[in-house]
Amino acid sequence: MNAFVKLLVRRGLFITLVLALVTIARASVDDAQSFALQAAEPYVKEGFQVREDYWGGDLGSGEKKAVRQQLFKGNEYWFWMGTEVERAKISVHIYDSEGKLAEQPDGWEKGHFAAAHIVPKSTGSYFIIVAVEESPEERTHWALVYGFR
Amino acid sequence: MTLLLRYLTVTLVAVAGMLICARAAQAPQHIDIKQLQVTTKVENVVVPVPDEIFAALNKLGPVNWKEYVRSSRGSNFRERPRIALLLGSIIADGFIAVQAQDAPAVKEIGQRVLTLSNGLSVRTSITPHAKAIIEAADKKKWQNVRQELDRTQNSVQSAMNELHDEKLSQLVSLGGWLRGTEVLTSVVTKNFSSGGAELLHQSDLLEYFEGKLRDLQTMPEFNMQLLQEIQGALVEVKPLIKVGSQKISAESVKRINEITTRLDYAIVTKD
Repeated sequence: MNAFVKLLVRRGLFITLVLALVTIARASVDDAQSFALQAAEPYVKEGFQVREDYWGGDLGSGEKKAVRQQLFKGNEYWFWMGTEVERAKISVHIYDSEGKLAEQPDGWEKGHFAAAHIVPKSTGSYFIIVAVEESPEERTHWALVYGFR
Repeated sequence: MTLLLRYLTVTLVAVAGMLICARAAQAPQHIDIKQLQVTTKVENVVVPVPDEIFAALNKLGPVNWKEYVRSSRGSNFRERPRIALLLGSIIADGFIAVQAQDAPAVKEIGQRVLTLSNGLSVRTSITPHAKAIIEAADKKKWQNVRQELDRTQNSVQSAMNELHDEKLSQLVSLGGWLRGTEVLTSVVTKNFSSGGAELLHQSDLLEYFEGKLRDLQTMPEFNMQLLQEIQGALVEVKPLIKVGSQKISAESVKRINEITTRLDYAIVTKD
């Protein structure tokens, strides 16, 4: 009986630990999304409609990820990236399907925020490249949101 | 003198360092896409809401959106894949009704979304959005309606993913995309312009849906005639829009309209 109780306690502790880790991981991507939305806020006043959908995950320093996105000629888009790691440096850039840099020159990187702007010259698929340039953390959570008008 | 030299050297080194850093931070003008797809994980597309396409269409000239507001809100289905497809189509109708600034239609759509979400066991997540849609339509706050329609689709899909119903969630996106494409091709067919036809350059999106439907075929729950019909239709549409840098012809737009109209009719109507 005693051994059975010990086993239950051990398993309970293990499950609690796993759940806690999952919650922390989820919370951090959610935090990163909050920062990305914070970066988007001023643009909403300029008529940009920010999509509810977002991409997110974690990257090590110097790592990057690509996101494929359908964009329509006639619209104007901003992509905003954020992370909760304040001392991290992140970047976001937009390339067309031929691999040519397609963004406007007014994109910006300010510590744990970054943004890229595009007025597509043609309708089609584009690649949004997000990167964690530097970070004090081993893995840095990131999130990317976008808006159009 | 020595002090001045040292000061100049330090300044030069600092300026050079800053220049190097600024260059390092600049993005390359060109990247190898094929190499990128090998070395970097490429995330799936976020399916655009129909409003993104409608926004681009509006910039090409005035559209009489009232003409595209549909009175039918679809049949009542028992099969969850059919409810999911219909829900996507109805949410797209919501965006059309917003374009037409048709408050009664938006309110009806809000109610219908609620009923359909019940059939997918996600009503709790959708209730606040449906209420917000109806309230915003009453006050004619169209931007708020748009935001809530997007939130509705997102919440439906998040709730379904939590229930491990990711496949159904993809069908909501597909239903919306088909209805959006039906309306886009209808508008462009009526008043053809190469700019309007260009909005159909969506071959990656089409391949994305094609792949998802192919995966569904192996699952008994999704083994239904309508899904097979949609998959067959996507195969038919693909060569019409996958034309590289060439322009999409008026005939192709008309043909895509016929196909998507047929599919959308099948989505909203009981066999």
